[in-house]
Amino acid sequence: MESASTVSTMSRRAKLRGPAARIALVAGLGALVAGCAQDAPQDTWDPAGPNAEMINDLDWIVFPIAGIVGLIVLTFVAIIVVKFRDRGQAIPEQTHGKPALEIGLTILPALILIGIAIPTVGTIMALNETDDTECIVNVTGQQWWWEVDYAQQDGCGGIPEPIVTSGQMVIPVGTPVLVRGTSRDVIHSWWIPRLNGKRDMVPGRVHTLRLEADEPGIYAGQCTEFCGLSHANMRMEVVALEPDDFEAWKAQQLAPYQAPAAGTLAATGEGTYVAQCARCHQVNGLEDADGAPVIARPDLQVYSGAAPNLSYFMTRNTFAGASWDLLTDECRADVWEAPPEEFGERYLEGVTADCLNSVDLREWLRNAPAKKPMYADAEKLEVTDGLVRGMPNLALSEDQIDELIAYLLERK
Amino acid sequence: MFTTGSKFLIGATVLATVSAIAYGVAQDGVMGTVGLASAAVALAFLAGVNIYVRDSNVWDDEISAVETAPAAARPPADSIWPMAFALGAVVVTVGLVTYQAVFIVGIILMLAAGAEWTAEAWAERASADATFNAEVRSRIANPLEFPLAAAIGIGIIVYAFSRIMLWLSKTNTVVFFSVMGAVILGVAFLLAYRPGIKSRAAFGTIAVGALALVAGGAAAGLDGEREIKVHETTEGVSEEGGDICASTEEFEADEKASQSVGATAAVAATITLTDAGELVFDVNGPVEEGTDSLTLPRSNPNNVLFVNESDEDRRLSLDLGTRVVEEDGADEEVPFLVCTALVEPDGEQNKTITIGAPSFAFPDGYSFFVPGVESARLELVVP
Repeated sequence: MESASTVSTMSRRAKLRGPAARIALVAGLGALVAGCAQDAPQDTWDPAGPNAEMINDLDWIVFPIAGIVGLIVLTFVAIIVVKFRDRGQAIPEQTHGKPALEIGLTILPALILIGIAIPTVGTIMALNETDDTECIVNVTGQQWWWEVDYAQQDGCGGIPEPIVTSGQMVIPVGTPVLVRGTSRDVIHSWWIPRLNGKRDMVPGRVHTLRLEADEPGIYAGQCTEFCGLSHANMRMEVVALEPDDFEAWKAQQLAPYQAPAAGTLAATGEGTYVAQCARCHQVNGLEDADGAPVIARPDLQVYSGAAPNLSYFMTRNTFAGASWDLLTDECRADVWEAPPEEFGERYLEGVTADCLNSVDLREWLRNAPAKKPMYADAEKLEVTDGLVRGMPNLALSEDQIDELIAYLLERK
Repeated sequence: MFTTGSKFLIGATVLATVSAIAYGVAQDGVMGTVGLASAAVALAFLAGVNIYVRDSNVWDDEISAVETAPAAARPPADSIWPMAFALGAVVVTVGLVTYQAVFIVGIILMLAAGAEWTAEAWAERASADATFNAEVRSRIANPLEFPLAAAIGIGIIVYAFSRIMLWLSKTNTVVFFSVMGAVILGVAFLLAYRPGIKSRAAFGTIAVGALALVAGGAAAGLDGEREIKVHETTEGVSEEGGDICASTEEFEADEKASQSVGATAAVAATITLTDAGELVFDVNGPVEEGTDSLTLPRSNPNNVLFVNESDEDRRLSLDLGTRVVEEDGADEEVPFLVCTALVEPDGEQNKTITIGAPSFAFPDGYSFFVPGVESARLELVVP
């Protein structure tokens, strides 16, 4: 006969099972539904190049095996937890030694691991091949943006002068690209899920990665190694262009500097730029009143020693570590959702005055750390010997912001 | 009702929830509130699991267990660990207002005393048999205590030994090391071949020796290290105005140049002086051999590996334009050169170069060259 307390305990358990089961059901369904997301630009299950395709193929081998093994193990764990939990019963008879079972349970996982290891090792080795690459692009991470530069080379269809940009890496479609990456401050990680796996970018080391895109388009990614306060705002994109469009993009990036017309707001903005921004940001070809080149020295101002090159700022369509769009939502959709055959033309248009997302850009210029946390406590700057991490608040006036935007709009 | 563990977890959940609300309202801090709310959710989950499994092993309805459980038994003896823990807390407090080292010692003392206290308290409740309980404690604590004690002991001896070696002159360290080695070997030989020696005498000898070493180390440490001459570097000579980077002569900085570590696994470029007297470079990727200018990213610490295939000792130098130095209170513009040490034929050396200004900042740009070999010049482009 059951005691009153046992009945009461069982009743309490029955009450607990109800909500727990419902929560588990909702959580499980939520996880399942999350897999059906349509607007997922960083979807590893939607590869857009041969390297990501290799990873995807491997996933389809490893995940089902791991899933089945996991399901079996969790089922047994659940059965054991429920069936053998302590109810105050006597300790059951203890047995030791089942050689056949123990050997079997050692050999079976070993065989499964060998089965997984063979395609995994093969894929890793194939992904690490760089001999067949036809274009070099250097990427350098720093808190909290990516610099992308193209050395003088015969690859990429020939690059006679170095090209420096940031946030967006432009590559030719169907060309295996060698990414050589490093970092200027802490460890970052470069990951464009639809094009390849992750690669850590470590100060003092050069790590390589292959990238290749099958179709023109923009492929999003973000830093995947926690790197400080604005790690979540350290994004990047790879822009794939048809070879002809890529040539046009190179020509854009190598075009000589065009000074704003005298007497315009942009011309006033050039002076504001030299006074406020040129200590850190380089604009190639810009000269001071004496005709000497204006040389940025971010290494004397910023902890990482670098700041984005703004020579052709409006040819890319994101800023501040690719965290905000330079295009309005409508114009952005025109580019991002363009059919492959029209994508290159729309991307190369760059940012026009009509399409400029001035709201975010103004907020950024007004007080950058308020929009993207740069450092939690100004006193922490002591450890960087007075050098700032990220862009400081320059306390610009609204007029100065107008002038700078007018000047920057011509940087393409 | 609820078991002890469940009460603890429920209490912690309530505390985290209240803290999250209080922090959110008072500090208006999103990150802290999210952290505390996450902790509350995690604790609530654990509390739920604990309620369900009822602390795993205690049947809370058995009221008699309160009197018969091992936990109810009287401890066999007083413990020093609560006192040691309290001492640790005091040292931590003193450390907070004095030196960081004192604070760290206090933390270590608290952790050690806490661990010992926990192990002892747990073992005392293992059964009603004090002997068995002592055995249980030894089984749990000794595997941690013995290696830790050995590590601490070895650490003290090694540190004391190093202080003595750094205090003695360069020559005397050799003598001291030889004598110490001979003494240790002799004592070990004696102990091994004279088993008749009483263990108390052997232990006493070793203890006296260890004590002398520690005392000597403490005295040497207080007196300080001997003056150690820092080996000259090419950067040092260059910054002091020496023309090492333009010279084929051997400087002190060039001695034992092979000690310089070559970061060959992460080189940005390999620059080779060929036996024909030319500088050629190789980078990973599609850059054809013979290209006459090398591009390196700006502000990056670029590892450049210099390989000397000529028949003579050569250094790789880099002309970085000019720099401004303060001379007698006035700014003066001087040539800015960096270089490797002299590298022997078929030798190689790594040089890490970080360049802040672009090459177009100077009319002549940047270039690598090899002093004494006119034809060896390579343009460096830094965007």
